[in-house]
Amino acid sequence: MPEPVAAATLDIPGRVRELFTYHFMVNALAAGTAVAVMAAIVGWFVVVRRQVFAGHTLSLVAFPGAAGAALAGLPAASGYYAACGLGAVALAPASRSGPSRGAETAAIGTVQAFALGCGFLFASLYHGLLGGVAALLFGSFVGIDDGQVLTLFAVAALAIALIGIAGRPLLFASLDPEGAAAAGVPVRALGAAFLLLLALAVAATAQITGALLVFTLLVTPAATAQALTSRPVAGMLVAVALALIVTWLGLAFAYFSPWPVGFWITSLSFGFFVLARVWRARRARSACGTSPTRRLMLPPGPPKRRRRRTREGGA
Amino acid sequence: MSVVAAESFWGSIASQLGGDRVRVRSVVSNPAADPHDYEPTPADARAFAGAQVAVVNGAGYDPWAPRLLAANPARGRAVVNVGELAGVRAGGNPHLWYSPANVERAIAAITTAYSRLDPRHATYYVSLGRRYASQGLRSYRSLIADIRRRFAGTPVGASESIFSPLARAIGLRLLTPQRLLDAISEGTDPTAADKSTADRQIASHAISVWVYNRQNATPDVRRLTDAARRDGVPIVTITETPVPASASFQAWQTLQLEALRAALERATRR
Repeated sequence: MPEPVAAATLDIPGRVRELFTYHFMVNALAAGTAVAVMAAIVGWFVVVRRQVFAGHTLSLVAFPGAAGAALAGLPAASGYYAACGLGAVALAPASRSGPSRGAETAAIGTVQAFALGCGFLFASLYHGLLGGVAALLFGSFVGIDDGQVLTLFAVAALAIALIGIAGRPLLFASLDPEGAAAAGVPVRALGAAFLLLLALAVAATAQITGALLVFTLLVTPAATAQALTSRPVAGMLVAVALALIVTWLGLAFAYFSPWPVGFWITSLSFGFFVLARVWRARRARSACGTSPTRRLMLPPGPPKRRRRRTREGGA
Repeated sequence: MSVVAAESFWGSIASQLGGDRVRVRSVVSNPAADPHDYEPTPADARAFAGAQVAVVNGAGYDPWAPRLLAANPARGRAVVNVGELAGVRAGGNPHLWYSPANVERAIAAITTAYSRLDPRHATYYVSLGRRYASQGLRSYRSLIADIRRRFAGTPVGASESIFSPLARAIGLRLLTPQRLLDAISEGTDPTAADKSTADRQIASHAISVWVYNRQNATPDVRRLTDAARRDGVPIVTITETPVPASASFQAWQTLQLEALRAALERATRR
């Protein structure tokens, strides 16, 4: 029986102190912080580049990675990184912006189905109990050791450094590929490099949120931020702040409640997303008189760019 | 001393070996749940963080337990990993508490761990260990010896590999295909050929008794058990963890062994 930790009184400072009493919880908060910052920044570019489906595929690829690592007797984390890296290499030729979007989506979907098939094969070939399949898919935070925390911090530092170096040309190439190419930006190489970076972020995030809930830190905070502001640096900072808030609150709620961390983080980030969309819709209605339901139907993204793209697509 | 056991069968033993000097918390103890799919909660992680002695099954049965130990490093904590004591690695048959020899190994290791961490009361732990072996496990041991004497070599069938160590200790001939035993235990699909072999063994009364694990009754297991009932093959129900949850290891195992003996008597009319 879990002992009743939460006292009847709402002793907030006491509760916060309790969170830091246990080594496993300190590890979970540290790992969650590293993952949240990296996922929010990389995710911001994912949403701008409209590569959400590629991100989804890479997160599903993490499952055969973990199952294959179990089959080979390796730690699950090595399987996550190896499989996501391979997935990015497989997706890179298919991934180009421009008129071939339909072909790209079909190629990515094919890779995704094949990866899941391999995962099922590995899981059934593995003799013995494939412990914690639910944790592989939906995440777990109670078993993170010091080595994992250090690895996650190193991966996050690397990812943020890479964005810091190549963020400006990457943004240019994402928003206006033709213009960027004309200005001498290596658009194709940047796109492939970004997929590898995305694979790194997905593999790290999947260790906390599980393969299926990677989006809750990768895409939801970034989409929420883009509903609030279209300025790049401000948007990334908002995304990081949101990801940190939902991760810390999610871990704290999961600690004091019997419900799993995956549920808390997803529902908190979903709540923020809905609030941001409602706020944007109300502001848009007061600005130009469009009905709020109509505005809610529009996909996220900086409003100005969105309108221009729609017009191009119709022409 | 605060002790955490990954599963209630080891917890029951650890608690009887420590008497009133230990407080044991068992993580997996719900007889209605399948321990293969267990996911640890924050309360479990707190229990592992505060424990001076941890008893885990190992052998890939509770992969979350070593992770909880690694996430909560502690100086001077004793870890009894029964799989390591028995030399069974992940991928082998992890149902070590169904093997009398491995139960003895675990008892010795737990007593040693208690005596090392609390040397002032070492004689107390050693005497409790002796008493548990001579009195606590008396009917468990005598039942195994009795069934072995009377029924060794009798062909039996079982739903999964959980029964294999006990069948070996008793000297029963477990005829069910090994691959089917492993598949049901590991949660994968048994092959059609193995299923039809198991069907034939029941229909032709090639097995005297059918033993099935109620806590892991997949549709295949239920179908085979129904076939055994229809064809008049005596059925013995066993469980993965003690039932009821409060039962001691030896009370639970003794009841199951008595049911097995009664079924064997009925089948062989002895």
